[in-house]
Amino acid sequence: MKLKPTITFGVVALFGSTLLAACGSGSATDSSKATNKTLNIQTPSSLTTMDISKSTDIVSAQTLNNTNEGLLKFGKNSSLQKAIAKDWQISSDGKRYTYNLRPAKWSNGDDVTAQDFVYSWQRTVDPKTASQYAYLFDNVKNATKINSGKLSPNQLGVKAEGKHKLVVELNHAQSYFNQLVANPQFYPQNKKAVKKYGSKYGTTSQDMVYNGPFKLTGWNGTNDTWTMTKNNNYWNAKDVKLNKVKYWTVKDPQTALSQYEAGKLDLTNLSGSQVQQYTHNKDYVLRKTASTFYLEMNEKKQPIFKNVKARQALSLIANRKQFTDKILKDGSQPANSLVPTNMQYRDGKDFATESTNKTITAYNQTKAKKLWQEALKETGKSSINLNLLSDDTPAGKNTTEYLQSQFEKLPGLKITNQNLPFKTRLARSQAGDFDLVVSAWIADYPDASSFLDLFTTKSSYNNGKWSNAEYDKLVKDAGGSLANQPAARWDAMLKANKLIANQAGVIPLYQQAQSQLVKSNVKGVVYFPTGSSWDYSHAYLTK
Amino acid sequence: MAKYLLKRLFYLLLTLFIVITITFFLMKLLPGTPLNNQAKLSKSQIAVIYQQYGLDKPVWQQYLSYLGNILHGNFGTSFQFSDQPVSYLISSRIGASLQLGFQAIIVGVPIGTLIGAIGAVKKNTWVDTTTTIISILGISIPSFVLAVLFQYFFGVKLHWFPIANWGSFIFTVLPTLALAVSPLAESARFMRTEMVDVMNSDYIELAKAKGLTKIGIIYHHALRNSLIPLLTVVGPLAVGIMTGSMVVENIFSIPGIGELFVKSVLTNDYPTIMGLTIVYSVMLMVVLLITDIIYSLVDPRIRLTDKG
Repeated sequence: MKLKPTITFGVVALFGSTLLAACGSGSATDSSKATNKTLNIQTPSSLTTMDISKSTDIVSAQTLNNTNEGLLKFGKNSSLQKAIAKDWQISSDGKRYTYNLRPAKWSNGDDVTAQDFVYSWQRTVDPKTASQYAYLFDNVKNATKINSGKLSPNQLGVKAEGKHKLVVELNHAQSYFNQLVANPQFYPQNKKAVKKYGSKYGTTSQDMVYNGPFKLTGWNGTNDTWTMTKNNNYWNAKDVKLNKVKYWTVKDPQTALSQYEAGKLDLTNLSGSQVQQYTHNKDYVLRKTASTFYLEMNEKKQPIFKNVKARQALSLIANRKQFTDKILKDGSQPANSLVPTNMQYRDGKDFATESTNKTITAYNQTKAKKLWQEALKETGKSSINLNLLSDDTPAGKNTTEYLQSQFEKLPGLKITNQNLPFKTRLARSQAGDFDLVVSAWIADYPDASSFLDLFTTKSSYNNGKWSNAEYDKLVKDAGGSLANQPAARWDAMLKANKLIANQAGVIPLYQQAQSQLVKSNVKGVVYFPTGSSWDYSHAYLTK
Repeated sequence: MAKYLLKRLFYLLLTLFIVITITFFLMKLLPGTPLNNQAKLSKSQIAVIYQQYGLDKPVWQQYLSYLGNILHGNFGTSFQFSDQPVSYLISSRIGASLQLGFQAIIVGVPIGTLIGAIGAVKKNTWVDTTTTIISILGISIPSFVLAVLFQYFFGVKLHWFPIANWGSFIFTVLPTLALAVSPLAESARFMRTEMVDVMNSDYIELAKAKGLTKIGIIYHHALRNSLIPLLTVVGPLAVGIMTGSMVVENIFSIPGIGELFVKSVLTNDYPTIMGLTIVYSVMLMVVLLITDIIYSLVDPRIRLTDKG
């Protein structure tokens, strides 16, 4: 009988000592809490590289964008700002860009020179680097030949004339070339550092040099927190107000939210199901991304989709607003146009808004049924079974379930859903192994062509094999003969965007948005919807 | 003993070889490429990149060169973490996972043993019922549910512990507790059953007849003899923790290898998948080997030989 108190005491003592030990060491770490000039940010995935030529994901892109700087950078609404380039000239044929560089320094004390750009671009295009973004350089003279191994990298159409002048030769005029140049892939690289660090270059914060507003510190290559510290060697350091931006990798959305509410984070991302509860919160911010989720119909496998009425019927039966507001509920917006909103502007007008006429992308069940019946009749069918492919994410499943319920309202149409892991879904799309597939595209640069180019007849991204000669010509002209005439090019692209929506070549469904909570004392964060997306160089904290 | 160990080592290596071979070919059946930017690359662009990584060669050639590389200790570089050697990726993240695993066992097994023993001694009383309910709950509630509950009460509400992330010891408390509940419950249940058996055995009756105190009987005879079979479950429990940690690491944002493994499979990061498969297999086999060895050390009736 004496046993009981002893054992009970033992259990309590063991738990108690754990708690006490824990509390003891806790107060020490908590005292290192951020000074008022540190911004604490949540990121849903780890930092994977700092190598400019090899970055592919949003986390590395935004870290590069804040620790390095190229010729130009994006400001609010994707407006172009001068960065290392203080001015530039474009030749009258649009094929030659000359940039004059300002004096700037690397974090190792070296000057940032035109040669650093030449070296960096050559390195990215060099097939040995195996860059997954080399294609952004395709219009730079000789780039594709170099990338396929037919020419040596020093044949690339980019030259340094002295220390501060960079000359770029293009194959043909490209009205959005400066938008490309503002992406991290076009930033300079310090040859000395690349050679010095060798295979370790860009794999930890120490094996890298920086020429941007911040320097990266505390990243051992695999850990889940890292800090961007103000770079005193930056040419415009006086305008950088934050001392530190600290990133915390928090993959679980609920954990991130708890951390935000506990005051450990100043900025956090909300996941789909959380958005609804926070849309009326004062900290809630909606960031529309330059993305469109769209439906592709396989005309090769299901010839009924060569019939425009069949395609239009599917577009008309999808109630996009109902879908985003009542089902997705994650801040996503209905897409009535292939090209997303909030991406490209001309004289203050939004490209997508300008080119949207909702004749075929607005919900109209009666018209949809009528067109579908006509399509069945014209193709000599009475019923049809189709599989619908999408990702196995919650949003992907919501999409297929919703579309299935809508599509099956069309007479004689039976839909089987298939939700697969992203890479599997992608492989099936690219192999043409689907009837209907929900795909997504996120623009690399804020120009409508990044979407319109995908669906020309010969494009390898055109999985459904929709083909329209007029569309092909408009897109070709916008990228070729009109490339140097902004107004005419804008009009051609508007036309193409209207055409593909009305013909339902692909069916735009929704534009994805990133919902965030941002503490009200955080000011000056710049968001733009493409590429690296975030600029903290002018951010500051009030109070 | 030495001969036995050598033999076990040989089987260990053989098993490892089979695991590597099967995983390698299964992995190559995964659709898609290991390239993060696959959606935007054309076939010819993918071909250029594949050539650099030797992925354009036939699978059997890739397999042979992979085997050659691991014999030289080269596990390749990750695709997900560009250019990062897989050996470094794993070595820099395995510490957190191992620490949590050890702590969970160290906290869970002794407490569970104690609870089980109390239950057995107080058989068929309210104490027994309570401990049984605790262990059944502990077994049935998955660790990730407990993780979320602990995080909410002890982190968000009471502010006793950090909600997430990794740093000093205090950061390990909640994830350790979440992981410890399952071994705690398992060992409590196991201990109770064993001890009830032992308490009914002849030598306990003899001890009682000799007039020994109850506490003496329990401590010297019952507890010690019940502990031996418990050793057999500690091995599988440790393995269970390895897999359970994948989700718990995610919830507490712990830079371990569990979540890395899941991500590597989803992104077709071939070298990382292989590296982690090898690590998990070795851990599993070593844990089982150690269990067998300890078993022979504590129970003189068991001798490790290659006979039978």
